[in-house]
Amino acid sequence: MNYEFDWSLLLEEPNWSWVIEGIANTIQLSLVAWGCALVLGVLIGAIRMSKSRTLRFIGTTYVEIFRNIPLLVQLFLWFFVFPLLLPDDLMRAWNRLDGVPFLTALIGLSLFTAARIAEQIRSGISSIPKGQFLAAYSTGLTEVQTFRHVIIPYAFRVMIPAIASEFLTIFKNSALTLTIGVAEVTGAAKTIEAYTFRGIEAYSAASLTYMLTTASVVIFMGWLEHALRIPGLIGKR
Amino acid sequence: MTLPLVQINNLSLRYGNFVALDDISIDFMPGTCVVICGPSGSGKSSLLRCVNRLEDFGTGDVIFDGQSLKSAHNISKIRSNIGMVFQHFELYPHLSVMNNITLAPRYVNGINRDEAEAKAHKLLERVGILDQANKYPDELSGGQQQRAAIARALALEPKLMLFDEPTSALDPEMISEVLQVMRDLARNGMTMLVVTHEMGFARDVADEVVFMDKGKVIERNASGNFFDNPQSDRAKEFIDRVLQKI
Repeated sequence: MNYEFDWSLLLEEPNWSWVIEGIANTIQLSLVAWGCALVLGVLIGAIRMSKSRTLRFIGTTYVEIFRNIPLLVQLFLWFFVFPLLLPDDLMRAWNRLDGVPFLTALIGLSLFTAARIAEQIRSGISSIPKGQFLAAYSTGLTEVQTFRHVIIPYAFRVMIPAIASEFLTIFKNSALTLTIGVAEVTGAAKTIEAYTFRGIEAYSAASLTYMLTTASVVIFMGWLEHALRIPGLIGKR
Repeated sequence: MTLPLVQINNLSLRYGNFVALDDISIDFMPGTCVVICGPSGSGKSSLLRCVNRLEDFGTGDVIFDGQSLKSAHNISKIRSNIGMVFQHFELYPHLSVMNNITLAPRYVNGINRDEAEAKAHKLLERVGILDQANKYPDELSGGQQQRAAIARALALEPKLMLFDEPTSALDPEMISEVLQVMRDLARNGMTMLVVTHEMGFARDVADEVVFMDKGKVIERNASGNFFDNPQSDRAKEFIDRVLQKI
C-alpha cells in the first residue's frame, strides 16, 4: 500500500472542532439515553414482575415491540413517521425545536435500550432465591421494604456486569444516529472524510475514541463490581 | 384459663391437584415446644408456612394470638410477632451478620440503630457468635449461619418461633450447636413449632410430637409416649424406620 498518513490534519480546523463536537455529542447522547433507559427499564422490569395480569401484559408488549424491531428502523420511524402522526400544531412546534435529530436519537435509543434493561432487571430479580423473600416477609417487612432493603441491593450487585454491558451497547449504537443527522463521532469522521478524502485517518480516530471510552467504562465497572462485592459470595479474588 | 397461641381451624391447602394440607384443625398452647414430624411430602413445612401466612391457604383459618390471619389487613405486623428459621438459613448475603439482625427491628419496629445494635449484641452473645458480628454470612460456617438466623428471628421478640428443618442442611458436627441454642430457647419458655428429623431433639426437648402424613395430622402425643407407645400404625412404622437408621 502506498499511502502517506497525515494524522496532523485531524488537529487542523475545522476538523478538530468536528472531532470534539462528535465526541461531546456521542458521550452526551449515550449518557442521557442510558440514564433514561435505566429509569424506564427498572420501571418496566418491575411491571413485568407485578401480580397484575394487565400490567404484566403491558410490560411484555413493550419489551417485545422494542426488542424485535431493528434500532435503525426505530430511529427512522421516530424521525420520519412519528412527527406525521402528531396533530398539525404539535408537529409544527416539534419541527421548530432546536436539535430535533438529537432529541429523536435520544428518544429512540432510550426506548430501545429500556426494553433490554427491563429484561436484565427481570432476570436479575428472578435469580434471587425465593427464600430471601420468605425470610424478609417472615420478619414483618412489607413488600416494598423487602424490595428496597433486601432484593434490589442484592440483585443490583448481580446485575452490574449486565448493566455495564448495556452502556457499552448504547454507546456503540449511538453511531447509528448519524443516519438521522446527529453529528456524533461517526458522523464527524464521515464529514472529515468527505472534506479531506482522508478516510483512514478519520475512521481510525473514530475507532480509537470508541475503544478508549469503552475500555475506561470496563475498568470503572470492574472497580465498582469489586468495591460492591459481597464478601464470601461473588467476586472472590 | 390459658388460650391457645395458635389455633388452626379446618385448614386446607392445594397446589393444583395436589392436596398439601387436608382439613387440619389443631391448637398450640403458649410456652410449649412441639415437634412436627412425618415423611417428606406430608405437609409439615406447608403447615408451618401457613402459621405466618407465607403460604396463602385455600380454606380454613389460622388464629394467632386471637387474630385471624385470613382476614388480617396488616399481615406484616402479625408476622413480626412470629420468628421463622429456614432450612437454608436465608440470611441476606449482602449484609453483615449485625445488619441482618437489625434490619427488621429498625424498619418494622422503628427502633434506632444504636438500640437495635445493642440488642443484637446480646442476641449474638446468647447464640454464641458475638465474634462474628461484622462478618458476612458466606464467611461463616453453616452452624454459625443458622445461629445468626435464629438471632435474626429473635430480634423482634416474637411470641412464637417456627423452625423449618433447621438442621437438615448442616454437617453432622454442626447440628448439635444449633440444637443446643434451640434447647435453651425451649427451656426459657419460648413457644416453638419445630419441623425436624432430629428424633433425639423430639424425645428429649419437645413437650409434644405431632405426626403428619399425606396432609393430615395422624397422631398427636406427649413426646415420651410417642416414641414408646405410638397410637397409630403409620407412626409406628415411621418411628421404626427412622430409629433403624441409627
